[in-house]
Amino acid sequence: MKTLMTAAALAAFATTATAHYGMIIPSDNMVSQEDGRSIDLTLSFSHPFEGVGMVLEMPEAFTVTHGGETTDLLDTLEDTQVMDHAGFATEYRLERPGTHVFALTPQPYWEPEEDAFITHFTKTYVSAYGDDEGWDAELGLKTEIVPLSKPFALWEGNLFQGIVKLDGEPVPYAEVEVEYYNEDGSAVAPSDLMITQTIKADADGVFSYAVPTAGWWGFAALNTAAEPMQHDGEDKAHELGAVIWVHFEPWATE
Amino acid sequence: MIRALAFALVVAALPVAAHDLRVFASVSGQTVTVESTFSSGRTPTGGAVRVLDADNVLLMTLEIGAEGKTQFTLPEGTANTGLMIEVEVNEGHSDYWMLTPDDIAYGQGTN
Repeated sequence: MKTLMTAAALAAFATTATAHYGMIIPSDNMVSQEDGRSIDLTLSFSHPFEGVGMVLEMPEAFTVTHGGETTDLLDTLEDTQVMDHAGFATEYRLERPGTHVFALTPQPYWEPEEDAFITHFTKTYVSAYGDDEGWDAELGLKTEIVPLSKPFALWEGNLFQGIVKLDGEPVPYAEVEVEYYNEDGSAVAPSDLMITQTIKADADGVFSYAVPTAGWWGFAALNTAAEPMQHDGEDKAHELGAVIWVHFEPWATE
Repeated sequence: MIRALAFALVVAALPVAAHDLRVFASVSGQTVTVESTFSSGRTPTGGAVRVLDADNVLLMTLEIGAEGKTQFTLPEGTANTGLMIEVEVNEGHSDYWMLTPDDIAYGQGTN
């Protein structure tokens, strides 16, 4: 009994200790003309390293920005299951070359364990037909990581850099959580401290992180909103996350 | 996908160092528009646009127009088979776009 309780306690601890991530994962983030003309996108809310899902309610916004023009895609979302929880999926036709930035604004998520609301402004960048024009696009979200490294066409081991912005201004020494999307469950963390790694931006809001392996990596810059939110008539903190999902390619030799 | 396979031989024949030039083609109604740009964002001031059918038969050769754009009327009978559009600015600067039957149908609003 004691052993069971310990295991249960550990499991509970592991869940609360790791980071929440809004997620947008496309089926391909560098689409060549030979790959076809459409991609599938999966939207979720999860603990990506542990593969633990949470419910993603219908988002407040889901858009694509290309060539400075933003298009609402909310109506295209269809229900799906991600990590055994409600998420959304859609198919999108890439009509023209260039970078397409997909962005998700969820409804604020009440997290009783943290006694706070969480809103993760989440985005990912997809290049179409060999054209990277627009890879550094800033969308003007409430909070946002603006890439300094092209957020695709990266090798594993490359350094990823971005600027954390809140209300359009860099956030000095912003805290950035980094987590690997452990899609097949094969990655093992030697310590819970390594499920989510935490780094800080510099005085200009610029952070840097070198990924150890290929795959999808999520960067979440966390700030607390100036305005609290109400829960049962009480003021509660509102965590604003700026999340970007970036894919790193394996080094390949023939 | 079958069409892509049919084009595979043509693709293989193109030079590998083709990354500086980017070619994209789309259809609106019966008009095909080819856009040629350099990765710098600049457009080529001259060059040749070769239009081939799915059997690799050269149908026409056109000049790159103003702002890197070239337009022509979709050749009769190619909507179901697609076109290979090759653009060559000079040696080492070439690229292509496979205008698939799906591209054509999408541009004509029939799919």
